[in-house]
Amino acid sequence: MTLGSRLRSWLRAILQRSRVEREMDAELRFHIEAYAEDLVRRGVAREEALRRARLEFGGVERAKEECRDARGASFIETLVQDIRFASRILRKSPGFTAVAVFTLAVGIGASAAVFSLVNAILLKPLPYPDSSRIVLPELISPPGVNLGSEYFPWGQAQFRMLTRDAHPFQTVGAFQNDTFNLTGAGEPASLDGFRASQEFFPALGVSPALGRTFTAEEDQPGHEYEVILGDRMWRERFAADRDVLGRTVDLNGYAYTVVGVMPAEFAFPRAEEMPSSFNFPREPQLWVPLAIPAEPKPGPSELAVVARLKSDLTVAQAQAAMDLITKHVESQDHRYVGWFNTRVVPLQRQVVGDTRRPLQLMLSAVGIVLLIACSNVANLLLTRSLARRKEFTLRAALGAGPARLIRQLLTESLLIAIAAGGVGILIAYAGIYFVKALGPSNIPRLREVTLDLPVLAFALGISLATGILFGLAPAIGAARENLVDSLKEGNQRSGGSRITPRLRNALLVSQVALALVLVIAAGLLTRTFFQLLGADGGFNAERVLTFQLPLPALKYAEQDHVVTLFGNVLERLRAVPGVQAAGIGETVPMGGEGESTVIRVPDHPAASQKEMPFANFTVISPGYFSAIGTPLLRGRDFQETDTTDSMPVAIVNAAMERKYWATDGALGKQVGPGSTRFPLLTIVGVVLDVKHTSLREETAPEMYVLYNQKPWPSLLNMRVALRTKADPAAMTESVRENIHAIDPDLPLAKVMTLATLVDDSMAQPRFSVFLLGAFGALALLLASIGMYGVISYSVLLRTQEIGIRMALGAQRRKVFGMVLGQGAQLAGLGIAIGLVVALGVTRLMASFLYGVRATDPLTFFAVSLLLLGLALLACYLPARRAMRVDPMVALKYE
Amino acid sequence: MAKPIDLLQGTLDMLILKAVSLGPLHGYGVLLRIQQISKDRLEIQQGSLYPALYRLEHQGWIASEWGESENKRKAKYYRLTGAGKRRFQAETEKWNRMADVIAGILSTTPEEV
Repeated sequence: MTLGSRLRSWLRAILQRSRVEREMDAELRFHIEAYAEDLVRRGVAREEALRRARLEFGGVERAKEECRDARGASFIETLVQDIRFASRILRKSPGFTAVAVFTLAVGIGASAAVFSLVNAILLKPLPYPDSSRIVLPELISPPGVNLGSEYFPWGQAQFRMLTRDAHPFQTVGAFQNDTFNLTGAGEPASLDGFRASQEFFPALGVSPALGRTFTAEEDQPGHEYEVILGDRMWRERFAADRDVLGRTVDLNGYAYTVVGVMPAEFAFPRAEEMPSSFNFPREPQLWVPLAIPAEPKPGPSELAVVARLKSDLTVAQAQAAMDLITKHVESQDHRYVGWFNTRVVPLQRQVVGDTRRPLQLMLSAVGIVLLIACSNVANLLLTRSLARRKEFTLRAALGAGPARLIRQLLTESLLIAIAAGGVGILIAYAGIYFVKALGPSNIPRLREVTLDLPVLAFALGISLATGILFGLAPAIGAARENLVDSLKEGNQRSGGSRITPRLRNALLVSQVALALVLVIAAGLLTRTFFQLLGADGGFNAERVLTFQLPLPALKYAEQDHVVTLFGNVLERLRAVPGVQAAGIGETVPMGGEGESTVIRVPDHPAASQKEMPFANFTVISPGYFSAIGTPLLRGRDFQETDTTDSMPVAIVNAAMERKYWATDGALGKQVGPGSTRFPLLTIVGVVLDVKHTSLREETAPEMYVLYNQKPWPSLLNMRVALRTKADPAAMTESVRENIHAIDPDLPLAKVMTLATLVDDSMAQPRFSVFLLGAFGALALLLASIGMYGVISYSVLLRTQEIGIRMALGAQRRKVFGMVLGQGAQLAGLGIAIGLVVALGVTRLMASFLYGVRATDPLTFFAVSLLLLGLALLACYLPARRAMRVDPMVALKYE
Repeated sequence: MAKPIDLLQGTLDMLILKAVSLGPLHGYGVLLRIQQISKDRLEIQQGSLYPALYRLEHQGWIASEWGESENKRKAKYYRLTGAGKRRFQAETEKWNRMADVIAGILSTTPEEV
């Protein structure tokens, strides 16, 4: 037998089914007619001849069936038949089909969208070669010392010690963020960039799109005037000119030679991928050599380190090797004891960072929605298969075997699942688009999220699995039906087997319970969100314009020069019409973390240098507090009369006063930076605590010092805040003109209203609330549909019973109450179970909450009430139908 | 005329191949030809003829095409394919050997054992 002929006849059977059938008909008819004609020729009457021809031929239909079998295409034909039949059945009950497809599609679409996020953010390897070997060796604070964050930056000397020791890395590079003032190329601009050591790029394993990375010679002081451009800067400033290599760029007053251009997708490190305490820019645009001197001076520096593990090492082994280095360093220099603790963090884990938990929350939420959707559809199918019992019985009586019936039902379920999968993919696309467009910008790797192949496979897998799962249960039930019994009963209203109602009720109860858990979680997040909105950040965000004023380091190397500049800036800005108050500060509220340093409190002398306390340390100008709207609690604000020559003064926040001078107040007390090189300052005022990164943060002790009293940190990156009389955004141009009137080379960066900053800081909680709220609403909708379906079906089953009750004198109100009672009972059970589960589950989300407890009774109570109300509403229509049952009609209904 | 005998299991295919090897035939023609060659000594169930034709076509031994019958009507004609010809020869040889063996067995006398 030849393969070709088989394939041909199969293909014909599938593709030309109707033609094959027509030809078979014609062929058999020809046979019978030709035979009849022969008989006529032999003298038989025409009518009689046809009759005899048919008789002698035998069963035409049986012959056709055998012919079909003989063609060997029966499997495919049965499949085609099943599909045709199933789609006809589904078309005949559009309501059922629509609800089933919609329900599943929502479940599939939502889970595919969330899984896309999880896949891109948590599972996919980073876009660097052999990325699992890239690690961040981090320095961590000595135990018991609170720097406000676990990390603290590497110093240049420490980094040198690391590179000179027997470290476990193939390459190890350091980097440090910096802002670069680009001048001489149109509008001066302040660009975010990094100073990176020679091994920075090799550690990541990336090569530039054009040119090269830095050489070892270039990574030395005095030779570091080369720059590698980011793709965006290359396109925006150099029009993507491929001849850009060798050109010079004026950065911070120095001429830098362009040696390379990075590929478009490369922008390491992005702020959202690094610990937030580093305060890195959102997306670097250029890199220049770090150029650490061969023998760097010990002292603070702000380096971060990235390394590539030697190929045969695990992270744990690398950590062990680093611990040895720690011991080595500590034994050589006792000053480092406790200050050289390291932690080797895989880059992947660092990048995922804090998003793991919100994603897990989303994944759980969407899992609940999917579960509810599946149990809903299972219930629908179960109910329907009961209603179709007569049909199955009839078909079984006509000779369909159980396998054939199961196959038919499975086909129906699979059709629903596939349709739902298709619609679900569309929903997932929309969801991903939505998340990308509206999601908070600090979600790492969001730009990499797409509905990709694994996700499609996942969605299809869910739809097929659910199809088989909920298709099989009713199918097996139907196949097990006792034919004789069901035929004798002769109608479908006798309740089916005793197991199915219990199964349906169990499904319904679990739906209610799941929905309750999800909605309580959403409710807690919503309350958190409103608590945050009402939270006092210690400032007033109305009508405040803020911007950064990065100063060119070369031009403003002298601190006196800077102080004069700031004096001029404040004077000019205060004279601008519409400006109520102007101030300069190292930070603005919601603008990120500021400096924190060791402090000296003579009232609380530290036993040793290691135990000296830390506090936030912020340099400001007079007028800063009026500009950001922070009220002064006691004492006085900084004044123009506080100068270099007058008494050095400080202002502390309430948290600091509480910590050190709780009994007699901070006014008149003394405090100073840890180093005795700086004089002690006298506290003249106490202000309200100001929050820096988010409204949910716990405020820490903070001290403010004056910019013109020779403070210690650099003043090159200060922020300006202006309180205005009208719309602050409208002031931007006149402010820019006034700044440029003082120095035309000064760029204004991050020009934003304080309200926008606050809004940005709320992006993540707002987004969580929105997503979880959406999932909660879906869960409610699905559970209500489920409740409605189950109750109305049970009313249908009990029509006869209700009729009898009414005939015997039951009141309509009683019947109504009975149906509602049945619904309330199921809902009540679901709510009770859900409450218990919720009590256990919501504790896991404590870290997402603010100002509300995980077991917030109000939320629990309100959500239970909401669910009960919805359940009763879903029962209302069927109950009304039950109430209107006409006893006569119901009893005749056989 | 003797009463027609029923076909042996599996022989219908061979007879069909023989019939169409003498020239293309439609289904009814196959029936007539077998009856003619066998001088009406074989009884063929008309209904079982077509499944056999379809099976042979599916296996590639015969091929079909639509043509015109002797009384100007459209009819489906079957002809032997190359593969079918080889198959028919193999089957014929097998049958002949089988028939010899069976005949030999059946004609054995007690003395020969």
